[in-house]
Amino acid sequence: MFDLLARMTNRLVRGRRVRVAWLMAAVAASWMAPASAIPVFNRQTGQNCQACHAGGQYPELTPYGRMFKLTGYTIGSRTQVPLAMMAVASLSSVRNTSKSDDPSADFSKNDKLVFASASVFAGGRIADNFGAFLQYTFDPYANLDASGKYHGHAAADNMDIRYADHAVGAAHDLVFGVSANNNPSVSDPWNTAAAWMQYVPVPSPSSSQFIDGATPYPGYGVGGNTSGLTAYAFLDERLYVEAGAYRSTRGAFGFMKLGQPTSALTRLQGNAPYARAALNIAWGASTLMVGGSTMSSRVYDDPAVADPTTLHRFRDVTIDAQYQWLLDPHALTLQAVATRQLHRYPDFLAGQVPAFVDAQGNALASTSTSDVLRLLRTKASYTWRATYGGSVSYFDLSGTTNTLNQSSGYDPLSGTITTSPSAAAPSTRVNGNLTGNPRTTGETLEAYWLPWQNLRVGAQYTFYQRFNGSARNYDGFGRNASDNDSLFVYAWFTY
Amino acid sequence: MKHLLSIASLAGMVLLAGCAGASRSRALGDPQVPGQALAEQVCSNCHGQRGISSSENFPHLAGQQADYIEGQLRSLRDKHRRDPAGFVYMWGIARNLTDAQISQLAAYYAAQPAAAAAPAMLAEPRAGRQLFNEGLSERGVPACAGCHGDKGQGNGAIPRLAHQQRAYLLRQLAVLRQSPDNRPMGTLMNSVAHQLSDDDMRALADYIATM
Repeated sequence: MFDLLARMTNRLVRGRRVRVAWLMAAVAASWMAPASAIPVFNRQTGQNCQACHAGGQYPELTPYGRMFKLTGYTIGSRTQVPLAMMAVASLSSVRNTSKSDDPSADFSKNDKLVFASASVFAGGRIADNFGAFLQYTFDPYANLDASGKYHGHAAADNMDIRYADHAVGAAHDLVFGVSANNNPSVSDPWNTAAAWMQYVPVPSPSSSQFIDGATPYPGYGVGGNTSGLTAYAFLDERLYVEAGAYRSTRGAFGFMKLGQPTSALTRLQGNAPYARAALNIAWGASTLMVGGSTMSSRVYDDPAVADPTTLHRFRDVTIDAQYQWLLDPHALTLQAVATRQLHRYPDFLAGQVPAFVDAQGNALASTSTSDVLRLLRTKASYTWRATYGGSVSYFDLSGTTNTLNQSSGYDPLSGTITTSPSAAAPSTRVNGNLTGNPRTTGETLEAYWLPWQNLRVGAQYTFYQRFNGSARNYDGFGRNASDNDSLFVYAWFTY
Repeated sequence: MKHLLSIASLAGMVLLAGCAGASRSRALGDPQVPGQALAEQVCSNCHGQRGISSSENFPHLAGQQADYIEGQLRSLRDKHRRDPAGFVYMWGIARNLTDAQISQLAAYYAAQPAAAAAPAMLAEPRAGRQLFNEGLSERGVPACAGCHGDKGQGNGAIPRLAHQQRAYLLRQLAVLRQSPDNRPMGTLMNSVAHQLSDDDMRALADYIATM
């Protein structure tokens, strides 16, 4: 997925020096392929998936699953072979593939069944207070060569290593610990967390670029494969607090970026502080969490060059809420997340005259010094007997308009919107943004079936009302938001 | 002040975290871990600290009859009890418990103060009270109080019912009605549950949770 979004981003900004655009920031969270239930935990505790995962729909955790995670994955008996795996096969179908110069590139593998990804997990209980969750993912479509052939690649995915303890007093109890992890909020036990809300892995071929997993999800400016250390405490299963910091991954933490090419990494200046607080209330069969998180980061424009004049500054603030009603055989979950991201650009990008011009050939407004992105995402899901389920979700990404974010527009030489490489300002089809506004809204409907706990088969359909700022002609070449409506069918196997 | 002291004592425990040892272990395959540690570190995640569950999905264990808990844990460990909640949640938890740990767990929960009565769903749960105390003679249903005690306190291998989670009671009555194989130790209840309608079960659960 890293590579998919890197390719998307590169197409978006082709011909410009802009490397970290709003799109990249907006979908930062979805860069991390999600981890999932890992049967090594199942073997460790001897319990069914649904003990830890609401309705068996991994990775969403039950109250027990949250405690299993926060106590460091240490409940149970250490397994002799602490390994598990998962594999995903899928088919993506974009509603309209005709408005493209090169459909085979813009919608690669459309309507074709593909082996989407596979992960190996290691982890579980290591000692009484020490456990781990380590994911390493193979992407069969990671790289595309000049001849149009794909090459697979394996790399570090989500990782979380914990020291944890649980003190029980006469009137209170306290779970506390430390997590070393590689993705902000991967340590969080609620599935409104940026690292967890998107859960079905997204295949790399471009036909999957509009499926639910590729729509805007909450995220932090730093993305994944950074290395962080956070300390947390959960008092009386009521009040959760976590704080820590993330840095560029190096040294002893190098394994947390294993296999990731430099271009896919985030290079941070110094420490990026992260904080999270949540109030958790349980009654009847219900659990309600209301919380928030914040993070500040300074990200080098080019991960290969630590040039302080190219720093992007992000400040992310998120509020989230999750309600679960878990009463066998029913599992109902409602989730809502609202995020705000302030993105301040380095001087070489801010206040610049854009390459595009307006329809009359006049210069466009200079690029802004900062952007604000807002994302609202809600989801309701229900699973019956840990077997049949469905979900409805809504996403609304909005923000400031900035000519820096235009990837389509009038070429000053020809006075037209053109993809011609000989143009002074070539535009981008399919992924282009004519307005410089990020507004992207839509819904996803999903139905899934778990014939047994190791297999999940599902179908999602994602509808778009707006994409890249417009309902119609968002790329300047007549493509409408609804042309991106996508069907995604998947089979997700874990063992 | 009491809370401050509690939190201060917790802070003290935090400082001793490195010395936790078996008393704070979550190991389920280690016979050295005492039952109380398992109760506090593992069982509490569903059944609540000191056996009072905050979720209707899981039964209160506080004040439960020790013989009953012991029998059920053995039955779950040996996979004789096969109701869905039993195998989904409990087979794994119980699979490596030693007899000594099972006895310690049973004694621990039996010694905890029982849950308070749930808020009444009905102003006057007359039907449930009558069923509990008198049974249904026309259908051959004996009074629950006859075995479970007039206050639903249980007796040895016969479980305490008083103030139990409503939803849990309903689910277990349904399990007992369905097949005696699911809960072999509840065979006696199979014929009783067969005579109860869904309305009877709801009336009983309402009364028992609040009695």
